[in-house]
Amino acid sequence: MLDLARTLRVVAALLRVGLSAALQYRADFLLDAVLGVLRASAAVGPTVVLFSVREQVAGWTAPDVALVLGFYLILQALMSGLVEPNLGEVVEAIRSGNLDLLLLKPVDAQLLVSFRRVQPAAIWDLLGGLAVLAWAGWQRPSPGWGAILVAVGLLPPGLAAMYSLWLLAICTSFFFVRVDNLRYVLGAVVDAGRNPLVVYPPWMRVILTAVIPVGLITTFPASALRGEGGLSLWVLAMGIAVGFVIASRAAWLRSLAAYTSSGS
Amino acid sequence: MRAPLLVRALPDLVRVSAAEVTAWRAELILWVLTATLPLVQLALWNTVAADGPVAGLDQADMARYFGGTLLVRQLTANWVTWSLSYEIRSGALSPRLLKPVHPLWQYATQMVLAMPIRMGVLSPILLGVVLWRPELVVWPGAAAFALFLVSVGLAWLLQFLIQALVGILAFWVDKTDALFAAWFSVWLVFSGYAAPMAVFPDWMRAVGTWLPFRATLATPVELLSGGLAPGDAARDLGLQLAWVGLLLLGVGLAWRRGLARYGAFGA
Repeated sequence: MLDLARTLRVVAALLRVGLSAALQYRADFLLDAVLGVLRASAAVGPTVVLFSVREQVAGWTAPDVALVLGFYLILQALMSGLVEPNLGEVVEAIRSGNLDLLLLKPVDAQLLVSFRRVQPAAIWDLLGGLAVLAWAGWQRPSPGWGAILVAVGLLPPGLAAMYSLWLLAICTSFFFVRVDNLRYVLGAVVDAGRNPLVVYPPWMRVILTAVIPVGLITTFPASALRGEGGLSLWVLAMGIAVGFVIASRAAWLRSLAAYTSSGS
Repeated sequence: MRAPLLVRALPDLVRVSAAEVTAWRAELILWVLTATLPLVQLALWNTVAADGPVAGLDQADMARYFGGTLLVRQLTANWVTWSLSYEIRSGALSPRLLKPVHPLWQYATQMVLAMPIRMGVLSPILLGVVLWRPELVVWPGAAAFALFLVSVGLAWLLQFLIQALVGILAFWVDKTDALFAAWFSVWLVFSGYAAPMAVFPDWMRAVGTWLPFRATLATPVELLSGGLAPGDAARDLGLQLAWVGLLLLGVGLAWRRGLARYGAFGA
């Protein structure tokens, strides 16, 4: 079992190193800002179009859907800021055999591959997501404290499930060579998370909750803020998240056991 | 001088490119699956249109439209911006420059030859959509279909040239991937990929008609699905041609300027 305090220290150190590595390129900051604002504004486009023709969709009003969109943008920011830069790196390290160097270090390799790289440009997507959430909050009647508590409580299991999904994707690259584009496939499916699950047919809802669990972190908190589901949503999300974390950890350990390094 | 050389080199170019493309065929399957957003959008707009037609589009029209975007997206897919910027940065462009055929022709051949595999992966998905809603299949008429073919060709060329232009920028800047991501996020809205332009608010449709995004997707899709009046079709095909011309100039100029810089690195 990992020592929690040490784990957190290692993660903090990794993030610090990753951030200072990324911040070397200061000249890119302005370009990043311009592109980030462009990306974040374009992301609102499809929803604006949708509500230009309809007052509400499947019982969800524009501010309701904006809640979902806001959580989706925040998820995208976290994925592109913390997760995706690392995925590309690990896949390359496995292919080239450079993973050997990480395995030699006295820290759990899963931590090392998960938090080595940071993409600060994602801050703009994060700000975009927060702006959308703020607009939704301003348009909607205030939800109760209980609802807010459940919504916030849904974020950790949602993030844990999405991180585990990403780790599972990495594990496949131990067995197949070029799967770095798997992240784009995941990204394409995750795109479905920008709308509330009710707009999709039932089989897609199941997939987006339990297989590609993007609904946990986009629709679930939005539903909680609408006063639906309450604690049962949280229990369901926790159950799915725990399942994902256990499965991904097991897959990671098995993949590592199957890893044939560049030298062997 | 150059054209006859290209013709003579073509058989070998095709053989090599076909081998390159099929070497990574499993990867290509994954790439096709990244372009499944039309299915998600179809599910969404199918629900929206369940309460009655949206801007004149009913559920069958939505299925026809997004079936069209699914198809045209694959027919115009390429990845030259990533290949080019990676090879410029890593120096892998050098061996390509030694070949007697222009690197852009090499990329183009490769991307065209990936098409049969892409279509092979796509056809069961398309078939599924058709089986789900058979009424989406409507013959647009021989003239419209001929224009559709021309329009898809132009859209392919546009996508290739835009991606090539962004890729060529790697001679100067490091952030070409971020640049293309930003382009893509705007493209997603204004190309008609996320929603048919018929349901746009008026100001967005007015702007979108003249932006280059529509020419890469919505124009051929609307020609195929019969959503384009003859006058609009003429305007849109003209715009496609104009954008292709402009981009050909831009790519030619940027390539010459950039290549001069590349040599200066001593790479």
